[in-house]
Amino acid sequence: MTQTLIDVRLTVNGEPVEHAVEPRRSLVDFLRHDLGLTGTHVGCEQGVCGMCTVLLDGEPIKSCIMLAVQADGAEITTTEALNGEELHPAQRAFKEAHGLQCGYCTPAFILTSVALRERGLDIPREELKEELAGVLCRCTGYQNILTAVETYLAADD
Amino acid sequence: MKPAPFAYERAASADEAVAMLDRYQGDARLLAGGQSLVPLLNMRLMQPEAVIDVNRIPDLDGVREDNGHVRIGALARYSAIEWSPIVGARLPLLSEIVRYIGDRQVRTRGTIGGSLAHADPTGEMALAALALDATIVVQSPTGTREIAARDFFLGPYFTVLEPADMVVEVRFPHHTMVTAFAEHARRHGDFCVISVAALGEPDGDAGWKTVRLAVGGASHRPFVADEASAALSNTALEPDAVEAAGAACVEAAEPSDDIRASADYRAHLLPIYVRRVLDQMKARRSQGAT
Amino acid sequence: MTDVVSIPETEIAPGQVGGRMERVEDERLVRGLGRYVDDLDPPRVVHVAFARCPYPHARIVSIDAGQARAIEGVLEVLLPDDVLGRTGPISILRPIPEAPRVMPYALPREIALYEGQPVVSVCATSRAIAEDAVAALDIDYEPLPHLSDVEKALADDAPILHPELGTNLLVQNPRGDGNPDAGFAESEVVVDDRFRINRVSGLPMETRAILASYVPGVRELEVVASTQAPHLFRKQLSDSLRFPEADIRVTTHDCGGAFGLKLGIFAEDVLVCLHAMDLGRPAKWVEDRMEFFRGATQARESLHVARMGASSDGTILAYTNHYYVDLGAHNSPMGSPMLSSLMFQGPYSFQHGYVERNVVLTNKVPVGAYRGYGQPEGCFVRELLLDRIARKLRIDPLEIRRRNFIRPDQMPWQTPGGAKYDSGDYQRCMEMAAETIGYEEARERQRALRDEGRYLGIGLACYVEMTGYPGSKFLGKHGAEYGAHEGVVVRANRSGGVDVYTGVPPIGQSTETAFTQVAATVIGLDAAKVRVIAGDTQGTPVNTGSFASRTLIAGSGAIERAGREIRDKALRVAAFMLDVPVDGLELADSVISSVDDPEISVSFADVAINAFYGHRLPEGELPGLEATAYYDPISSAFSYGTAAALVEVDPETGEFSLDRFLFVHDCGRQVNPMTVEGQLHGGIAQALGAALFEELVYDGDSGQLINGSMIDYFMPTTADLPKIELDHTEVLSPVTPMGIRGIGESGTIPPGAAVANALCDALAPFDVDINRLPLTAEYVWRLVAESRAHA
Repeated sequence: MTQTLIDVRLTVNGEPVEHAVEPRRSLVDFLRHDLGLTGTHVGCEQGVCGMCTVLLDGEPIKSCIMLAVQADGAEITTTEALNGEELHPAQRAFKEAHGLQCGYCTPAFILTSVALRERGLDIPREELKEELAGVLCRCTGYQNILTAVETYLAADD
Repeated sequence: MKPAPFAYERAASADEAVAMLDRYQGDARLLAGGQSLVPLLNMRLMQPEAVIDVNRIPDLDGVREDNGHVRIGALARYSAIEWSPIVGARLPLLSEIVRYIGDRQVRTRGTIGGSLAHADPTGEMALAALALDATIVVQSPTGTREIAARDFFLGPYFTVLEPADMVVEVRFPHHTMVTAFAEHARRHGDFCVISVAALGEPDGDAGWKTVRLAVGGASHRPFVADEASAALSNTALEPDAVEAAGAACVEAAEPSDDIRASADYRAHLLPIYVRRVLDQMKARRSQGAT
Repeated sequence: MTDVVSIPETEIAPGQVGGRMERVEDERLVRGLGRYVDDLDPPRVVHVAFARCPYPHARIVSIDAGQARAIEGVLEVLLPDDVLGRTGPISILRPIPEAPRVMPYALPREIALYEGQPVVSVCATSRAIAEDAVAALDIDYEPLPHLSDVEKALADDAPILHPELGTNLLVQNPRGDGNPDAGFAESEVVVDDRFRINRVSGLPMETRAILASYVPGVRELEVVASTQAPHLFRKQLSDSLRFPEADIRVTTHDCGGAFGLKLGIFAEDVLVCLHAMDLGRPAKWVEDRMEFFRGATQARESLHVARMGASSDGTILAYTNHYYVDLGAHNSPMGSPMLSSLMFQGPYSFQHGYVERNVVLTNKVPVGAYRGYGQPEGCFVRELLLDRIARKLRIDPLEIRRRNFIRPDQMPWQTPGGAKYDSGDYQRCMEMAAETIGYEEARERQRALRDEGRYLGIGLACYVEMTGYPGSKFLGKHGAEYGAHEGVVVRANRSGGVDVYTGVPPIGQSTETAFTQVAATVIGLDAAKVRVIAGDTQGTPVNTGSFASRTLIAGSGAIERAGREIRDKALRVAAFMLDVPVDGLELADSVISSVDDPEISVSFADVAINAFYGHRLPEGELPGLEATAYYDPISSAFSYGTAAALVEVDPETGEFSLDRFLFVHDCGRQVNPMTVEGQLHGGIAQALGAALFEELVYDGDSGQLINGSMIDYFMPTTADLPKIELDHTEVLSPVTPMGIRGIGESGTIPPGAAVANALCDALAPFDVDINRLPLTAEYVWRLVAESRAHA
């Protein structure tokens, strides 16, 4: 059955985007394959592993369990938004702390940290662990990820 | 895992949403936060003909106070509830419980209305609604009605909602009770193995007037433990009373075996968690917390 | 001979061996610019999905693909008959010794042997449509009696899964030495038990994935795959597709975690290539997570019937273990893990030991390699039995180990299991662990808390780990389809550095960075100018891949050889260019200069440019500045250490907290201490996951997997794991380049045993013995409850 396509208009990394998508197209597949933004990854399509984390209007969400059509009118931020000449401070913190190995979960943790920093709160380690518990990592045992995020959150502007 | 094909509708109002549900005669699903629905669609465990997106409906996500109640729109996100100063002040139990739900990402999108309609038997939001004696406001093509939380849940993923019904609001009465909550889970943020919420109205120096206990994970739906609550009300939560309450909870529970725990273990934990939660409630009273 | 080398880390420049160099991989990975298979979307790419058998054992009675084929966008449907005539079986890379090879074909002819086995392959213009087509297939299955565990499989009336074998016992592999019976007869105390090790999944965050492109006529099959061993992948594809290996290219740009699950090809890989070849379009398969739990190799499940005997002073006199591995329906490329047998002895000096591995076929997903490769299981059984003996003899667990350790001056040590330990000071790591965890104070606190009705426990576990293989000849004798070596091409570039070409792919193990450091150190270059080109069979020497904790040992050896050749030639050419004797020159930081007068110098870049032009070379010197070298290890090297855990348990509920966890290890010379720590963190996290949280549960009646989803498979989150404390020694290995030992798997080996021992220690007043995994609160509660019932 060929599905009726739905028009979506949204902003991705500050750029306006317009596209026609199938209703069942997930947001993560849309970002990765329709827009070519492959920095966001897919790990489960069940909303558990968090690889697909992007920011929706500044807040972290799991884009594998959001339909692309739902993002109409939204502002989506993906990991690519952080890329410039120099490493973004969050990216640098991860590199310095050896907070990644295979790299598959890294964009998800970095975006989650960026949103966390935006909230401007002082977060103790136990609570930080909970804030990050929505993204899984199989390589690092989370030790250096926590160090990286703490460093990033504590850094001056 | 890509969903089977479905039609996508967007409702601009609750009226429109229930009219659409009616039109599809049970073969459409409301899409709110999607944190429960979309995984089921992805796994093809649900294959509705249509999905009705209600996220654009205005004025359905507010948290406000009104005449002795806190009124939370069905589309209020878990994180909005988590961070709401009104909820923090008036319904601290709800603030506390919502932090056990999922994770940051899930809480950004998941809604209270969606959670109650989904009716996971271990669901923390359902437990909170029961414990806090909430009223669930439901709209259908024929009008609006109100259902007490304790009449709302019928079984696992099964409520009194009809195919063309939509939860539009959840209303919590103000209370001045001391509250406490504890749950046992296999890992952080996971569906609970067992959960207990307690509310108590202090009386005099060490006594308690009304005490209410609600239990999750120990039956095919969360429930208010009436007999246990009665055994605790108008007591000083003496060991005998607590033990009797624990036994009454076990009596009322019908736990099952599942991947997370056996029925036996759940039955074993239940009175212990009742005791822990009541201890917590006592401690909070001493600290002057509510 | 103990040779503890401790070079203060601040003295070593990051780019050198021993330095904490930030990873070169990170520049692309932190930016989200890694290239995992699914990131590639070539023009006209098509997508593959599979119909998988929903029963653990079934006859495929009929398949009607008519409706599926009619769906718009469906391009090809492959049924068993379409495939069996033109493909060969999937070869086994590491055969089980003396066992018949039970090799699957890409699709089953008539009988499906496990839930999840691919039965039909569908290719369509999108994955969603391919799944629609799979749903539209009409497949008639006749469920057959199934075997859901080893006991059922070995029962007299069990159906035989592979009729040609006549049995479900694939093979029995005995191994050992000495006279254990005599040892037991002399023992003051003997303990034994049946230990059930849980079935788990390595669960990398990236599932399996492959993209195959084929241009008809040109006969080039280009494959991008998420694999640990591109060259082996290539060879196996050639065998199964009956397609010349020389016409196949396999590349892994980036891989989102492997841990042993991505070693070799699987049925799906063959089928995707067939679609690509039939359609002349790039075909992609990205495994979804539901498929993953029912298709990717699983791990560890085994039943160990083990026995240990000791004298009155705690000296181990005998050890036996008859263990049963639940292999699943057939061999996976890496077969049943070997090392529960080879490494059963651990760090102890007992001479009388016998293990017998029984490999049993069942109707489950095939078991394959998973980090540790049998060592976590073997360590668990041995360390728990040793602690039981300690408790029975009332000897402290620290002390009983002191009485049994192999001593450094006894190295090299031949074990009854057949391993030859190279060097090490096992006791030292344990003493360091004991001191760091505050053993004496913990014991005091334990006594004090017991009076308060609180139960604190301290647990230890010691391990020795086999890293790398003892040479290619050894593997040849055991029928492996690969060697033990690594080969590299090291080629000077004109920017002042070298390009190192290796077939080892990036799977998170930081090989690019480690190889950079080795090359920079050996040759004398600025590390920033070294590039590592990894994971492409085109342009790299045939090599083995990233597994068995072997890469750094063999890779460093190869880079050392090639590097020395380049260095020597660079010095010769420089001497000629500078018109000075070659012995007076040194090469450091990409500059060649005279030792006596540093002003007399030439850059490595200029030397390379000159060599490439060939304009000014000494007589007899050929143009170019590169070398190809192989390194074949002469022996395995053995890493070792101790894990220690502090727990507090509530006997009423079985709930416990892991209050402290630390790990003291030795992996010889550390090329990059920072990445060594990372490897340990990750291995330990997987070990704690497997010990405390995870299990793949099969329903006893239906034989189906109950929890095949991320929702119900309990992998730990950030909030579930404690802080991991690390410490190390650096006893160089005498049998490897630079004294390196492997480190990739160490973390997985002792943690489960350490936590289990801590729990038993805490619950000693209840006389509790642990013999299964995972250690859930419910399990601990049952142990205490049963013990109370017996009291």
